[in-house]
Amino acid sequence: MAATTKLTLWPKLSQQLIRLINTQPALHSNFRSSKVVEPLDQYPEVEIVHNAPEWKYVERLLPPRIVPQPKPKESYPSGWQPQTANASERSYYIARTKNHMVPVYLHTRFRGQRRLTVVRRVQGDIWALERDLRAVVESARNGKLCASRVNELSGQIYFHGDYVDVLRDHLKSQGF
Amino acid sequence: MLKLLNKTKQLVYPAIRSISNNSSVLASAQQSNEAVESSDTSASPEIPQRPALILPQNYAEYTPVNKNSARQAWIENTDAVKERKVGIIELHPDVFAAQPRVDIIQENIEWQRKYRYVSFAHTKTRAEVRGGGRKPWPQKGGGRARHGSIRSPLFKGGGIAHGPRSPTTHFYMLPFYKRVLGLTSTLSVKLAQDDFHVIENVDIPTRDEQFIKDLIAERNWGPSVLIVDKNDIFPENICYATDNLGYVNLMPSFSLNTYSMLKHDTLVLTIDAVKHLEERLLYQLHRNDAAKTGGKFKLDQV
Repeated sequence: MAATTKLTLWPKLSQQLIRLINTQPALHSNFRSSKVVEPLDQYPEVEIVHNAPEWKYVERLLPPRIVPQPKPKESYPSGWQPQTANASERSYYIARTKNHMVPVYLHTRFRGQRRLTVVRRVQGDIWALERDLRAVVESARNGKLCASRVNELSGQIYFHGDYVDVLRDHLKSQGF
Repeated sequence: MLKLLNKTKQLVYPAIRSISNNSSVLASAQQSNEAVESSDTSASPEIPQRPALILPQNYAEYTPVNKNSARQAWIENTDAVKERKVGIIELHPDVFAAQPRVDIIQENIEWQRKYRYVSFAHTKTRAEVRGGGRKPWPQKGGGRARHGSIRSPLFKGGGIAHGPRSPTTHFYMLPFYKRVLGLTSTLSVKLAQDDFHVIENVDIPTRDEQFIKDLIAERNWGPSVLIVDKNDIFPENICYATDNLGYVNLMPSFSLNTYSMLKHDTLVLTIDAVKHLEERLLYQLHRNDAAKTGGKFKLDQV
């Protein structure tokens, strides 16, 4: 009741509103807007084909369901190397991620002023790995000491500073 | 702590060779099968002799993170109280020999306890406490502090300013991959601590609960046992037998959770349950569209 009074009070506005509604496409997405099913002989003939040969053109466009294995090659232009390390060689082991990458990351804190290098997915003797990695980082800093933190329970090592490339290259050279 | 973690690290199992890689193991198993079939049944005549069940793992689809850490488990019988090894199953290391992340197991247990909890503690605010609508004494001139109502939080018997308000939900969703990792860590822990058994199926010969009690006592399974099958419908006999035993519980594989696995001392899975869990967990660990599992929690999504 209030709506109709509003419409008559502002005829120009109501005309504009009706024009707006008519220019928008009608929505057929609700139950009451869809037609009732008619007898099937009124619809055109349909041939059901199982496993159509054309389906392969659709399949090759779909993304893979699981992360694929990388193709073995001599060398990769990106610098990626497959894992060659055996867990029984050394007292520690660093597992690759699901996407076959080395698990070394950069965390930034305090609005980018503090940079931390994180090595994750460490198994085995994490203290031995920490000693080896700290030696690598300190040689990259020309002998200056580097602060580090070991979280033994979750298998993570944190280094102060941005040494992601240094540690990634080192781990790749070790075969991890 | 270090000793515990070093014991559970995935190296130095020199005697274990992967069944699927080693053809001589399969060949020797076949020879032993022939020997079993040809020899007279020395066991009791009720139990029929069948060839040993060797179930190797197919690593083609999901390559393990650490190829050296293949695990194997005996497949045990359920048709008699006395333990008899019916075969051997090879377990995928990513599910059963994962790094046991104790911190993630703790987070899972905490989440399972808290997300359903609704706190019904309730206190009344100054608006809800009976009385206190009138200014107790005039603003000025009494020598007393100024007050607007006798039920303000400052007063004895007044409302509580920031008290609990019932009902308060404590719902939150743990990130998806923490829950997946919780399951793999707990399964690995159970296997590493000898609390994990695989049975062929859940068929037992009688409805008698004494059979189950004797079985648990004979095989030295823990005080509490969790039996997991693939589907939620279990055979009649085991349902009747375990109905009145509070410490033996049946569970379908889709209900498997960290809390139940830690609450029960022994975890017993059927072969179907092991295969199903491996397939589902390995898919989640290797799926391409993992980013979809992040984001806001939706009711129809895991």
